[in-house]
Amino acid sequence: MSIFSKNQPSAENEPSASNSEEAVQEFVAPNQEEPPSASPPEQFTKAESTPRSNVLSKPSIISEGFVFEGTITSDGVLNIAGTVLGKITAKSVLIDSGGQVDGELNSEQLVIKGRLQGSVNCEDLNVGPLAQVDGDISYKYIHIQRGGKVSGKFIKN
Amino acid sequence: MAEVNQQGCLFVGEGVVLVGNFEVPDIASISGTVEGELTAKQVLIEATGIVRGKLTGESIDIRGEVNEHVSSTRSLIIRSTGKVTGSIHYSEIEIEKGGHLHGDLHNLDPHS
Repeated sequence: MSIFSKNQPSAENEPSASNSEEAVQEFVAPNQEEPPSASPPEQFTKAESTPRSNVLSKPSIISEGFVFEGTITSDGVLNIAGTVLGKITAKSVLIDSGGQVDGELNSEQLVIKGRLQGSVNCEDLNVGPLAQVDGDISYKYIHIQRGGKVSGKFIKN
Repeated sequence: MAEVNQQGCLFVGEGVVLVGNFEVPDIASISGTVEGELTAKQVLIEATGIVRGKLTGESIDIRGEVNEHVSSTRSLIIRSTGKVTGSIHYSEIEIEKGGHLHGDLHNLDPHS
């Protein structure tokens, strides 16, 4: 039967129909909220308008209670709710409210809600209201929300 | 707010250049240029305003440019057009996106 259907897929209606049905079911299952015809172009526009890694790569997460000592290098997103002692290089870094970083940090986008001590080199810096930042910071764009505690040398590139 | 009670206030219009030391008991609104020391309860540096020297106050709101030294005992706000260089002492700070900050930042009460 399988050989027969493979030989004549176009002539027979049934096997091709069941094939396409399976394919459709597989395609629909993951995104049932949206009609499948609408979602693919939307994803394409998103991928073009925002940095690729934000959409495509999953964040690396250092959870609460986790202490990392050493060097982290990533092309993607890094979320820190634990503690990092050492050097971090990533495209986008979020230091969460319980997070703590002690050392050197290089990133394009940096959001600080927790504590940071050390030297920072970033493009886009956002310091949250409960954050504590202490160190030498060079940046391109800065935003410090009211209440954020920052001290050290600030250099705008 | 400033127009209601002008007693104890200093207004420096655009194009005006002041050189010297100034003690202002209430509001200092600067659209021109001040060279020297300026102390006021509340300081507003408008977008065209420039202060070269030492700026001290309780609440400081910067839309223009301040060089050398800024000290704020209550709140310091650097707006998106603001530019601050030099040493900065504050107890509460807010910097809007686009604000320019170049220098040393010191928190007056870091453990509050």
